[in-house]
Amino acid sequence: MRLATLSFIFLGATLAVVAAHAQDKTRAATPALTDEIPRLNYRTRTLPNGLRVVSVEDHSSPTVAIQVWYHVGSKDDPEGRSGFAHLFEHMMFKSTKNMKDEMLDRLTEDVGGFNNAFTADDVTVYYEVVPSNYLETLLWAEADRLASLNVNEENFRSERDVVKEEFRQNYVAPPYGKLNLLVEQRSFTKHPYRRPGIGNIEELNAATLEDVRRFHATYYRPDNATLIVVGDFDAKQLDAWVDKYFGRIPKPTSPLPRVTAREPERIGERRYTERAPNVPLPAVAVTYLVPPQRSDDAFALRVAETILARGESSRLYRALVYEQQIAQFAGANADLREDHGLFVFRLILASGKEVNEAEKALLSEIERMKRAPVSPAELEKAKNQIITNLLRERETNNGKALAIGEAAVLLGDPERVNTDIARLQAVTAADVQRVMQRFFTDKNRVVIHYVAESSGNVQAEGGR
Amino acid sequence: MNKMWRASLMILAVALVCPGARGQQEMPPSPGPPRSVRFPTPVEKSLSNGLRVIVAPRPQGVPLVTALLLIKTGAEADPPTLGGLADMTANLLTKGTKRRTAPEIAEAIEALGGSLDASARWDASTVSVNVAAARLPQALEILSDVARNPIFKEEELERQRRQTLDNLQVALRQPGALARFVAARVLFGDAPYAHPVSGTPETVQRLRRDDVVRFHQTHYRPDNAVLVIGGRIAPDAAFALAERLFGDWKRPATPLPSPAKSERSQSNRKPRVVVIDKPDAGQAAVVLVRPGIKRTDADYFRAMVANSVFGGGYSSRLNQEIRIRRGLSYGASSALDVRRDVGPFIAATQTKNETADEVAELMLKELDRLANDDLPDTELTPRKAALIGNFARNMETTDGLVTQVASLALYGLRLDEINDYIRNVQAIGAGDVQRFARERLAAKDARIVIVGDGRAFLDDLRKKFPDLEVIKEKELDLNSGALRRARALKETGP
Repeated sequence: MRLATLSFIFLGATLAVVAAHAQDKTRAATPALTDEIPRLNYRTRTLPNGLRVVSVEDHSSPTVAIQVWYHVGSKDDPEGRSGFAHLFEHMMFKSTKNMKDEMLDRLTEDVGGFNNAFTADDVTVYYEVVPSNYLETLLWAEADRLASLNVNEENFRSERDVVKEEFRQNYVAPPYGKLNLLVEQRSFTKHPYRRPGIGNIEELNAATLEDVRRFHATYYRPDNATLIVVGDFDAKQLDAWVDKYFGRIPKPTSPLPRVTAREPERIGERRYTERAPNVPLPAVAVTYLVPPQRSDDAFALRVAETILARGESSRLYRALVYEQQIAQFAGANADLREDHGLFVFRLILASGKEVNEAEKALLSEIERMKRAPVSPAELEKAKNQIITNLLRERETNNGKALAIGEAAVLLGDPERVNTDIARLQAVTAADVQRVMQRFFTDKNRVVIHYVAESSGNVQAEGGR
Repeated sequence: MNKMWRASLMILAVALVCPGARGQQEMPPSPGPPRSVRFPTPVEKSLSNGLRVIVAPRPQGVPLVTALLLIKTGAEADPPTLGGLADMTANLLTKGTKRRTAPEIAEAIEALGGSLDASARWDASTVSVNVAAARLPQALEILSDVARNPIFKEEELERQRRQTLDNLQVALRQPGALARFVAARVLFGDAPYAHPVSGTPETVQRLRRDDVVRFHQTHYRPDNAVLVIGGRIAPDAAFALAERLFGDWKRPATPLPSPAKSERSQSNRKPRVVVIDKPDAGQAAVVLVRPGIKRTDADYFRAMVANSVFGGGYSSRLNQEIRIRRGLSYGASSALDVRRDVGPFIAATQTKNETADEVAELMLKELDRLANDDLPDTELTPRKAALIGNFARNMETTDGLVTQVASLALYGLRLDEINDYIRNVQAIGAGDVQRFARERLAAKDARIVIVGDGRAFLDDLRKKFPDLEVIKEKELDLNSGALRRARALKETGP
């Protein structure tokens, strides 16, 4: 992220930022709720240079959301440059051929809009929301930073310091920050997903201005970008502006490098005990390797995630937090990415409890999902929760644009923003049980016990 | 967002007028004519039991509705030894009623796709739900049940107590959260607004069921409440629903207790510089705090614009100096936390331990500069636009709309102020901001709190603030304005 508010970063705030948006994307419900989801009537076109444009005209507020999705993410960090894609994202707010440092802020914030960006495992997304009369200005600006970057040593060093502070703020200062890095590092052995997107101080220090230029030339090109525009505009006018400012950017002839490494199937449980400073209560993370985002199993995995961990009626909250009082936090996250999915469970223990005991209680809830189908009421509840979240996302132009971007870039078809609803609705209790049985096996499991380093006794800092 | 275009044109001109040394530079295209924006107009009605019902309809919006029941009493009413009482009371509402157990409440609301949140804050306790419009009747029935009929089972109190203590244990280990807790004590001493809303480990231990029952009986009554419903619903339908679910809520014969006053005690009038020495801190949290204003202050809009210039938003001065210019932080910002009584003005950031003193000094310097240096229109105009844009974006969601309307209702302000917001901000000039900064935000009244590894910055900090107080993390006592635990009283817990 370019900017986050100073908020508590608890467990679950992983670097796979897009998952936070993507999580609620699959959808369905009882007919009553499904009927209320308005179809997103989008238009797509592709310029001769390969830039894809998806737009939705909506005049309900005098604003417009503009997003540019680049199909490059943290998994594309160069060797020895962990954290680079994200550091690069920060540099995209510095000078270009036609813009001075931070001019994007002048064109957005200064006129009542805002901008931000995030780097996920598979994509980097830049977005702004502005009063709709500024649409042409922002299209010009986005095209300008796609066409050229003009960074210098001074602003590179200063921005790298900002990223180091971001690392400290999100991963060093808060309890459990380091656990989020370990989840990535221990869950993957071969795929670059093993390198946390925030990087580390040494590899950030190793990055050079030349790396920035090379990365821009390699990945920031029209045939690797999708422009999404949602809001108050005239379609014809939009097309003309897009042609004028983006159409003149040449399409490089060099091939686009792609990550081809794949994570081998896990062949046996792996266990780790990790010690860290500043661990008020011990924690447990358990991960399973699951299919990628485009898999047909994604829908059932989303439903399983919701039944397991969304809300106080979810199975994990009910069993581990409410009844057994063994955990003070119990989360599950189906972090489905482009190349592989990672299903992550995180527990922060209640005080006085012990990691082995908590792990056992978690595994027994997972077993219960495998042993018997979920009830019809649980299934319907999960679908209602997912669909209501989807409605919340569609309250704003920026939310709609994020949904479209995910469908177009990560799922490969913008139409999925509309059709996934029916797919999710079709998920049965048997589907959920099948994916649980298939993927949540002993040999597909990684377990991390996360305890205070000051003592061998895991309860050392847990007692009151 | 009308009226902004002229201003922004000016900014563009300034930004681009310097001829590019790089030659063939292109100018960004100018904006087209602006379109105006209008927010929903809230309508209201009072039920015969005194409950004020407000509806903010958005007929064309996404089919979602937020309902929020606001009790006009919050953590400021906690007795000094029972910090956390208001929050505990609110949290326990959803943990069992005459008709439903805690799991049944969670099950019922989540089956509708909604979630029910109950908590206390300063000046108010709230219960709210956000659901698909079609499910509002069922959801509002559950909301009414938990607000009116909670039974406060001992077993649930114990469970909630353990959860609160565990949450506090985690929060107290975050430099940023801890610095804010300490800042409230430094500013308010032993007066209301001084303790953490959720209480401290010691006060949470003391809460008894009788306290909770009494708090609920005293404050949760229709003539001390406001129900706000916003989103895609017709006012008539919302009023009818409110009448059906809250109409028979009895108003007690006893008079309403008057709200607590936050009289700042003598001991905390003197600005202090307090360092909480936390040797394992991965980063230092630096907070500047001083008295701000009441929500109903006549200077409210001057204050909001002043804050926008100083530390509200990415391009504010604080973030410019600390992050953009020097790379000292991931972000620095400030806020005026306006309340019924005078709330805090807080600037906060996190930086590596070595630069904590430098950042504290920058904050003070910027506050001085706000009062004394010129504020050109080329800076003021964009900061006003940023403020207006933020407001307008918050109003886009049903949650944001309802929160805004509820806040006006809580402080007895005109509900249609939302449609005057843009005009009110535009009317503020540079002189207003400077006068406000000089008279109401002077740096000489600022307190500084740093939570971090003292070894890295204490020597330098002492040169600037010879009177600074250093308190070891283990000796910190959040229960009093003195902040230091008396050795003999050192608590070991249950």
